[in-house]
Amino acid sequence: MSSEDFTPHEPRQPEAARTETAEMTGRQRLAAGLWPPRVTRAQLVVALLLFVLGLGLAIQVRSTSDDGALRGARQEDLVRILDELDDRSQRLEDEKTRLDAQRRELENSSNQAEEARKQTEERERQLGVLAGTVAAEGPGITFTVEDPLTAVEPDKLLDTIQELRAAGAEAIQVNDVRVVADSYFSGRAGAVEVDGRKITAPYRFQVIGKPQDLEPALNIPGGIVQTLEKEQATATVTRSEKIVVDALRPAERPDYARSSSQ
Amino acid sequence: MIAVLGLVVGVVVGLLIRPEVPAVVEPYLPIAVVAALDAVFGGLRAMLDGIFVDKVFVVSFLSNVVVAALIVFLGDKLGVGAQLSTGVVVVLGIRIFSNAAAIRRHVFRA
Repeated sequence: MSSEDFTPHEPRQPEAARTETAEMTGRQRLAAGLWPPRVTRAQLVVALLLFVLGLGLAIQVRSTSDDGALRGARQEDLVRILDELDDRSQRLEDEKTRLDAQRRELENSSNQAEEARKQTEERERQLGVLAGTVAAEGPGITFTVEDPLTAVEPDKLLDTIQELRAAGAEAIQVNDVRVVADSYFSGRAGAVEVDGRKITAPYRFQVIGKPQDLEPALNIPGGIVQTLEKEQATATVTRSEKIVVDALRPAERPDYARSSSQ
Repeated sequence: MIAVLGLVVGVVVGLLIRPEVPAVVEPYLPIAVVAALDAVFGGLRAMLDGIFVDKVFVVSFLSNVVVAALIVFLGDKLGVGAQLSTGVVVVLGIRIFSNAAAIRRHVFRA
């Protein structure tokens, strides 16, 4: 700003209006106006206007700092800001929908994987019962053969197993040997071997199956019980609500056979 | 002295009672404040020059405020409110600077 840029805000006053202060410098006039305070019309009027100015200033500063930028913003700016916010919320909404879908998908697939795993486990247990690799329990019978004369041949015991299987036995254990699909009986009376392991009398069959089917299968006329009694052995059948078959045999991996199903 | 007191009291009152500005007046308040500031600086300079007349100050203060508000109002109606109020602030700012320069020369003799 040039010092000679003289554009007086107030029009120059007639000479008469300032004769008595004409000799004073600006600084002296300022000091005289400030002190001592004088109640003149000019002072009061200026005080009133300055009061209004201070009021407006304070209000404006206050409202600007109160509500941030929005309060002082113009209409078109507000419209633009609103548009931007709308866009932004729309984008966020889209993203939320997308992420929700993704989450549902992941939950579904993890549920399916969990379900498949459960089914596999269940199937493994069922097959384990058949293969004799896991213990089993359930209703069934206990079939005890006393053999005081050591007259019971292995084939009689094999007949017993066949009869039990035919009657729906699901898990069988003789003494402490688990009987499975490839079990075999060998030896002779008094020295019976099951799967190569020697068992001695009394022979104790623990069988899981439906007791109402298993018991008659052994007791029918001309059946196992009568045959054994002919050999001077005593055979007793006891039903039970809870039979535990806990003899195990190791799982064997077949050397040649492979599953042909996928 | 009383004039300075008036300014101080106005600021304090404005901060304390926190009056609600009517929505109609709101867009014009900032410009009006700047225009009033311009009038005050002009008045201060006139006083230092020894040519201060209260009536002139009152008229210039009020007319400054009214004209500034009017310009903003007109600008809003014409759809160039933002640009026009920027222009008003620039012009008033220039005047405030030149008046301040004159005041400075009086007070500091430099």
